Amino acid sequence: MQDRPTAPELLEALAELLFTDVREWVPRERRFQVLAAANVCAVVARELRAGREPTLADLELFRALAAGYEPPDADEGDEDAARAAAAELARAIRAGGLDDELPAVIERLREHVRRKLDIARPGYAD
Amino acid sequence: MSPIPGGASRQTLLVEGGGRRWVLRRDPPDTGSFAPLEDECGLLRAAAAAGVPVPEAIHFEPEGGRFGSAGILMAYVDGTSVAPRILRRDEYAGARERLPAQLAGALARIHSIDPAGLEGVPAPERDPALAACELWERELDAIGEPLPAVEAGLRWLRLNPPPPPRRVTLVHGDFRLGNFICDEGGLAAVIDWELCHLGDPAEDIGWLVVRSWRFGNDELPVAGMGALEAFLDAYEDAGGERPDPQRLRWWEAIGNVKWAVICARQAHDHLTGARRSAELASLGRRICEPEWDLLEQLPIGSSASRPGPMGSPEG
Repeated sequence: MQDRPTAPELLEALAELLFTDVREWVPRERRFQVLAAANVCAVVARELRAGREPTLADLELFRALAAGYEPPDADEGDEDAARAAAAELARAIRAGGLDDELPAVIERLREHVRRKLDIARPGYAD
Repeated sequence: MSPIPGGASRQTLLVEGGGRRWVLRRDPPDTGSFAPLEDECGLLRAAAAAGVPVPEAIHFEPEGGRFGSAGILMAYVDGTSVAPRILRRDEYAGARERLPAQLAGALARIHSIDPAGLEGVPAPERDPALAACELWERELDAIGEPLPAVEAGLRWLRLNPPPPPRRVTLVHGDFRLGNFICDEGGLAAVIDWELCHLGDPAEDIGWLVVRSWRFGNDELPVAGMGALEAFLDAYEDAGGERPDPQRLRWWEAIGNVKWAVICARQAHDHLTGARRSAELASLGRRICEPEWDLLEQLPIGSSASRPGPMGSPEG
């Protein structure tokens, strides 16, 4: 256990510093880079706070959609498992194996995209 | 000489001497993978002859000439291409009112250019819509990141393409806010012609209205400053053929595929070390924005009954 601030709390402090003081020190034409850096801190802070839940939900969704997909039983991490299942699903879609149910697949994949937006760009989907 | 930021693959340099200014656009040293700059020079001249505002192409030098790598020396155009400045600064208020109609006129003239005399403009081997699907599939494979939402949207677009266009025309290929130099009078020049090709003219309009190029002014599809119907009216008045709403929606949707793939490509270039950049890295986390818009634009399920970013299904 580390002492507080936690990782997301530290990133939020860094984002505040960039958004306020550093932004004022930087010439106007370069400010977008400072804002981009602050935004990255905010994204990572939200990702840390969200924990494993969104990745596990995606993993379950990808495995359900790519029917017949046999996940490797190696004890890979959540991220690797989700990425492997996403690759399998992407291949199945490209090969036309899901054409008959494509509208339903697209409906379900909106959930996956919304989970990404909740971390990377809250409010974009509303 | 000093670099002008913004050019993605080519170097753009400000050249100053004797109180005058020019712009040198050249290939980065040791690369030769882009559409030849000599052809871009021909395009700029054809566009100028058709009445499209472009920087005057003064001189071309091949690889090993006086510019080092292949390059075009162009006239300097006063103004800015930086989207947030054009959209928010007071001095561009008048420009914002004029710009949508000016863009429509410029685009209609681009689409009127006879490509017969142009060298090096790629033509699709088959229907432009299917050619676009194949292009982005190949690019996704080259990047290698799994993007099932992009794949699903792309698959739907491949299965539901618009009929082949009545007329294949020159297509600018990157006609969007960011590639328009504006001054207080509005459009001063259309730049960045390296993605020019032959295809469906609706492609340029679909790409223009992609949500990312509205820079936050989501309710104004045309460069974040104009309504779609007024734009199409002006495009038609200037001699363009008005695309039907389904065709336009298809090209806007595949424009979102294109933007998602470009974001993935830029992040990939950072990760492989080809171009280390925090800015490119952060684009990897923007893939989900065009993914969302892409899936919303397909007439499927819950989105079929609600207006997409482009407005009502009727346009």
